[in-house]
Amino acid sequence: MPDLSVHLGRLTLANPILVASGTFGYAREMERIVDCSRLGGILPKTITAEPRTGNAPWRTVETAAGLLNSIGLDNDGVDAFLENHLPYLAGIGTAIVVSIAGKTRDEFVRMAAQVAGEPGVAALELNLSCPNVSGGVDYATSPEACREVVAGVRAVSDVPVLAKLTPNVTRIVDIAAAAAEGGADAVCLVNTLLGMAIDWRARRPLLGNVMGGLSGPAIKPVALRCVHQVRQAVDVPIVGIGGIQSIDDVMEFLVAGASAVQIGTANYYDPTISTRMIDALPAALAELGAESVSEIVGTLQTSPPPQPASAFPTPDR
Amino acid sequence: MSGALHAPFCADQAVQVKTEVREIEQVARGTYRIRFAAPEIAERIFPGQFVMLRMAGTSDPLIGRALAMYDVIEDAAGRPEAIDVIFIKKGKFTTAVAEAGRGAALDVWGPLGNGFSIAAAETLLIAVGGVGQTPMLALAAEALGRRSFGRPSGYAQRVTMVYGARSGDLLACTAAFRAAGIDLRLCTDDGSAGERARVPELVERLIEALPPPAGDSVSGSAQGSTAVRIVSCGPEIMMEKVAAVAADRSIPCEVSLETPMACGIGICFSCVARVRQDDGEWDYKRTCVEGPVFDAARIVW
Repeated sequence: MPDLSVHLGRLTLANPILVASGTFGYAREMERIVDCSRLGGILPKTITAEPRTGNAPWRTVETAAGLLNSIGLDNDGVDAFLENHLPYLAGIGTAIVVSIAGKTRDEFVRMAAQVAGEPGVAALELNLSCPNVSGGVDYATSPEACREVVAGVRAVSDVPVLAKLTPNVTRIVDIAAAAAEGGADAVCLVNTLLGMAIDWRARRPLLGNVMGGLSGPAIKPVALRCVHQVRQAVDVPIVGIGGIQSIDDVMEFLVAGASAVQIGTANYYDPTISTRMIDALPAALAELGAESVSEIVGTLQTSPPPQPASAFPTPDR
Repeated sequence: MSGALHAPFCADQAVQVKTEVREIEQVARGTYRIRFAAPEIAERIFPGQFVMLRMAGTSDPLIGRALAMYDVIEDAAGRPEAIDVIFIKKGKFTTAVAEAGRGAALDVWGPLGNGFSIAAAETLLIAVGGVGQTPMLALAAEALGRRSFGRPSGYAQRVTMVYGARSGDLLACTAAFRAAGIDLRLCTDDGSAGERARVPELVERLIEALPPPAGDSVSGSAQGSTAVRIVSCGPEIMMEKVAAVAADRSIPCEVSLETPMACGIGICFSCVARVRQDDGEWDYKRTCVEGPVFDAARIVW
């Protein structure tokens, strides 16, 4: 049996398969479908300082190989989370990485201080990049703002801190570097791509909030590119997110430089996929002759191969 | 709603299986019934619950579709084995399944949602429009004691169903409804079948024609036997009007909402409806796990 464990800075996980915030509820919803204790980690739905009603329907719209969402961080607030959800999550037996979103730097810091000390919290993920919350500053579009939030949270939190970044920037490397400077144990790449869908006959947007975040297989190439770029330029562990729906996708992200991955939208349309990926991981590692996950992370070779197998190599189609 | 029947806001019985379309039949214009084997789901599902269906092995369409259980089919030994669902061919998924036909590979997960509650009534009055008829065959059979879905049955003395559509060629499965013992009242917008009327007005007339209730049993309480209970499924505007007819007369009424879902299991928070809380304020509630059947009086239309 290969060694599936991975390290994200100070955070150690039993395996690299996590489930992304906002795509797994508070895990209780999945308890009869998925053996949640087997997951490398669980990110419950993002919590905010105060309860949020969320956005008006429609909140999701299917697009080609993707899903647009604008849920609007519908949640009951941090106090209700700690009372109603954390005790259950803490008892599952896997790493619980609590996703928090603040409207201001101080709000992030206050929430982090409140949550980090609670038993059962393995780490925090800073949702710096939810595209659906109007009025707030997007802390993952400015390197300075990103560094300040991460550093502020690090100063009050004993648990590892992950920074979830948006791909909706010109140079994600700059943001990732800022997160690392601020003390992030890892960066999570990427949140959804801002998009929209339209009913031209009605001349109306399909989402109640007009625009939303695109996820699913459609965005996987973008996420892979972001992981690759950050891996090349910044010395920080990476958690890959974006359209991962098969063990092949998992392996691509690991080779590109992610130490772990989060399964997101695939949980919606294939609820048992996450643990099936864990089942399939040893055989995939064996194909590379690897005895551990960590030894394949970031092993992508971008220089031309010495000798092509064929003059006209054909990719799988 | 009764606590015992109310799923604890999670898909507490659901399993995910791979299967294929075993049978497909056109049951009305553009309307299809498909059957697929799924014993683990068939043995647990009850009226008003639904399953999520997805074409296996494709990213387009990507997301599952929520479809109500129409019927549970038993094998030769009398064990629940297969499930029938009904859909209108309109959109990526339904078009792909209807065209792929028999043998189409499906991913299915369920049973999902909390279904209709069980409450005794002299008359169970069902008000449906279009494909909203789907869950009512099983409900009527259960209410009349002709079928059991692993929970009490025989809780209504009669079942009357008002079933409306735009035109007669859209009415599906009427023979099956009659054979199940339902007093079926059809109506269409264009008068091409049944009465030329809308569902809510026919419901109102039927209620007016019912014998007056004995004592004060029509109190709006779901406790004990009631003269009449209403359940409704179909277009939102129709359900809203049916709910208003019920509310005016303090008749208990349940509606099954059809908000677009992405997961069906409570993890995406897409399928929300505005539901009135005990404090009188509304909050968005997930239709998949807190519904799809709601007490109509709690819905903020």
